[in-house]
Amino acid sequence: MEHAQIHALLVERFGDAVLDLVEGEQPRTVVAADRIGEIALALRDDPDLAFEYLMCLSGIDWDGYDESGKGKSVKILGYDENGVPETSDRVAEGDFGVAYDLYSYRHRHTFALAVRVPRDPGEVPSTAAVWPTAEWHEREAWDLLGIRFAGHPDPRRILLDENWVGHPLRKDYVMPGAWEEVPLAGRPYAADKFTEDDVVLPQPTEDGGPQGAPKKDDGDGS
Amino acid sequence: MSGKQNDFTPPAGYDPAKERMLDFKIDEDLERVTETDRKNFILTTVDEVFNWARLSSLWPVTFGLACCAIEMMAGSATRYDIDRFGAGAFRPSPRQADLMIVSGTVTAKMATRLRRIYDQMPEPKWVVAMGSCAIGGGPYFKYGYHVVKGVDFMVPVDVYIPGCPPRPEVLLDGLMRLQDKIRGRKGKFRAPKWVREYARLIPYVKR
Repeated sequence: MEHAQIHALLVERFGDAVLDLVEGEQPRTVVAADRIGEIALALRDDPDLAFEYLMCLSGIDWDGYDESGKGKSVKILGYDENGVPETSDRVAEGDFGVAYDLYSYRHRHTFALAVRVPRDPGEVPSTAAVWPTAEWHEREAWDLLGIRFAGHPDPRRILLDENWVGHPLRKDYVMPGAWEEVPLAGRPYAADKFTEDDVVLPQPTEDGGPQGAPKKDDGDGS
Repeated sequence: MSGKQNDFTPPAGYDPAKERMLDFKIDEDLERVTETDRKNFILTTVDEVFNWARLSSLWPVTFGLACCAIEMMAGSATRYDIDRFGAGAFRPSPRQADLMIVSGTVTAKMATRLRRIYDQMPEPKWVVAMGSCAIGGGPYFKYGYHVVKGVDFMVPVDVYIPGCPPRPEVLLDGLMRLQDKIRGRKGKFRAPKWVREYARLIPYVKR
């Protein structure tokens, strides 16, 4: 079944809960976050749809984008040239989103769902009871983006350490300089420490070598 | 109990000036080295023998972190065969190993474990930083919030092997440079002529 047909089916069955249809290479149906549980259950259990396989669950930080999803991503903070983490007091304001990519082995068709919730509190009902795959995917979304999943059976971090502070893929995340005595800051770039006089250029070999003798008056400095 | 062992007093009549080695004279026949003896004796120092033994049987700890570990496995397989240089016995326990090849990205979570494995290895021990990530963070230098920017922040490193990832030949070359280091023949080592010719073409920075 095509995406548009399934979308029409959902509109007919759930009415206001279906908010939007985002066109694109992979069309995506945006639904209300508080009704994702029953919509997921219907998609899985309807014999004509039979989406028994959750291919991927992704968390999205919409900060820096406008309402339609267009826009430019904000600059991710890294380290300055001295190897010190860049600091910022900017507070991100954009919504959080969760995208569900579904597949049916019985009918060989795909479907894409999405929800969008305000950043505070950023809570989405868990679908781990519908698709067990979602349990670890939701733990990853919680770990890296800080999206809460209400009713999740095991809401722990999955990749980072239990004692990690913050959620790294948030747009306003500031990199740590160290974590529990493990230094994470970089070294200053070595290029600043040396002058041209310190660099020893290749010397010509007896037969000229594969590259020949270096020319001192090269315009581009190569 | 604590002070007892320092209470040693020498017996009466002991004179340190009279202490001397066993006194015997070498027979003149033994002092003469014949042509046969020249072929059958090797004179060396104990240190040199120990170093030779150490560099000829470097046992790495089985420790692969990322894609560099794939190259390390290829280096230990039949085509490149790190066993030719005596470093093929990958030990599953750090207690039996004396070489740690840090092959891959060192994350913050792994850094503490890496340090523990290093501490568990018996002396003498050596560390090889393999690949850009282990040397200085590599592609994760700028935005890698979880990556240690160089394994030498955690443990002392003997040999750095650049590459992303380095080919097995480069790993073998780094192993041989480590063997040179253990051999302690920094000044005497002379690379083959084609290596010297090639090295002159590579720009480098004076330290």
